[in-house]
Amino acid sequence: MTVLWPIAVITFKEGIRNRAIYGISIFAFLLLAANLLISNMIMQEVGKVAVDMALATISFTGLLLVLFVGINLMAKDLDKKTIYMVLSRPISRPQYILGKFLGMALLILTTISILSIFAIISIFMVKLSYPGYFPRFSWPLILLSISFITISLILLSALTFLFASFSSTSFITLVLTIISYIIGQSIMDVKALVEAPQAVGIKVSPVTVKIVQAAYYIFPNLSIFDIKLQAAHGLPISLSYIFWAVSYGVVYTALAIIVASVIFRRREFP
Amino acid sequence: MERVKITPMIKIEGISKEFKEGIGSRKVKALEDLTLDIHKGEVFGFLGPNGAGKSTAIKILINLISPDTGHASIMGKDVMDKDTRRHCGYLPENPYFYDYLTAEELLWFGGKASGLSSNVIKERTNELLNKVNLQAARKRQLRTYSKGMVQRAGIALALIHDPDVVILDEPMSGLDPIGRKMVGDIMMELKAQGKTIFFSSHILTDIERFCDRVGIIVSGKLRLVDRLDSLLSEASTLEEIFLREVELSGGGVEV
Repeated sequence: MTVLWPIAVITFKEGIRNRAIYGISIFAFLLLAANLLISNMIMQEVGKVAVDMALATISFTGLLLVLFVGINLMAKDLDKKTIYMVLSRPISRPQYILGKFLGMALLILTTISILSIFAIISIFMVKLSYPGYFPRFSWPLILLSISFITISLILLSALTFLFASFSSTSFITLVLTIISYIIGQSIMDVKALVEAPQAVGIKVSPVTVKIVQAAYYIFPNLSIFDIKLQAAHGLPISLSYIFWAVSYGVVYTALAIIVASVIFRRREFP
Repeated sequence: MERVKITPMIKIEGISKEFKEGIGSRKVKALEDLTLDIHKGEVFGFLGPNGAGKSTAIKILINLISPDTGHASIMGKDVMDKDTRRHCGYLPENPYFYDYLTAEELLWFGGKASGLSSNVIKERTNELLNKVNLQAARKRQLRTYSKGMVQRAGIALALIHDPDVVILDEPMSGLDPIGRKMVGDIMMELKAQGKTIFFSSHILTDIERFCDRVGIIVSGKLRLVDRLDSLLSEASTLEEIFLREVELSGGGVEV
């Protein structure tokens, strides 16, 4: 543990001081400010729109953070050989991956926390202006949704580590991560569709069903962390759902980091 | 007759390494059966033209790459063991560090990762930043540093944990005459403290000034290892010996 902390600290500092993070933050604040304007214009279901918009902003900003700051943090280590300064210390490869991942998780937590404060302020202000539109409103559900977004971002970040552990350039890592994100968001719906095609009157070959089922177990099922809709409509989430979703996130993340460490152990840095 | 066996500080035994060149299956031999012992308190100069395999050998010692065959150890421990790096400081060729860290934070990382206490880190940081003349720039981010300043920060980082073995890959590259003298003085000081120094260079005067022993490597093969004074007694200059060895090897110089 003692060697993980210094790696996490320098990773976090390198990430938080990166100029890209300013751009991403400004973008997020603009979106949250726009939340007030948009709510003004719609004048129906204002409460749902405001919550959905605020949560979507957090989620999208987090995605940008993982894709453009997170991947770059790892890629720079390999491209510019900054990894030498870490590996020339008494640090093993798995410790390097784990320390770096901890730093990245810390970066995600910090960014999401700051964004959440602004998101909550924006929802609060809309609620203050149009109290009539918030009949089934619940702060705990909003906080739960933000926590779920955080878990899914940390999971996605673990996946970038896995891809970076074997790919030769950061571009490949970026593409693989985006593909996984898109598949992860939609795989549950696609699986439901191909397993019961008669419901919509289409035919699906058995091979397609097998492929989709395989993809369902390989790619992360990110849609289980998306409870923006429930949060916007104030629909309750069961405790067992929370338990299974969190367990799924933790286990998938751990597996991705373990496999990344195993691959990284054999990698050479000429 | 039995002799007392002294474990060398650095031991390289029969190391070979091939690299794949491009996508095709053509392989390039970077090192061929390299065997070398470096003893305590010695300053060993690893001399060779560009692309001779100097950095490859050094990276094997730091476990950044692994040899195809052979074995390397530092202070009796296999280099695959991360604990060897507790006693060993390394300066990479053309070092590059995190852009947004300051020199102070860089040394904090090096010290913490090597298991030093915060007090010792503070003390060593002060001492080393004075030595490499970066005291005034200690709170500036490394991206604002010049090439020579980064190189000097790298030397401070390599020495933060007071290692017994110091491995420097082209320590003089990118330095102005003042910086070269500074690094030279640091090397002499380390030598006086009984540290073992292994450094690579293609600058002959650096080797002549600091080394006890010299190894000349050309195209991945170690051509010659000898004490500097005995080498200089057989020829007038190191340059003469170096050029002769390169020529004898078949002129494998990459320009």
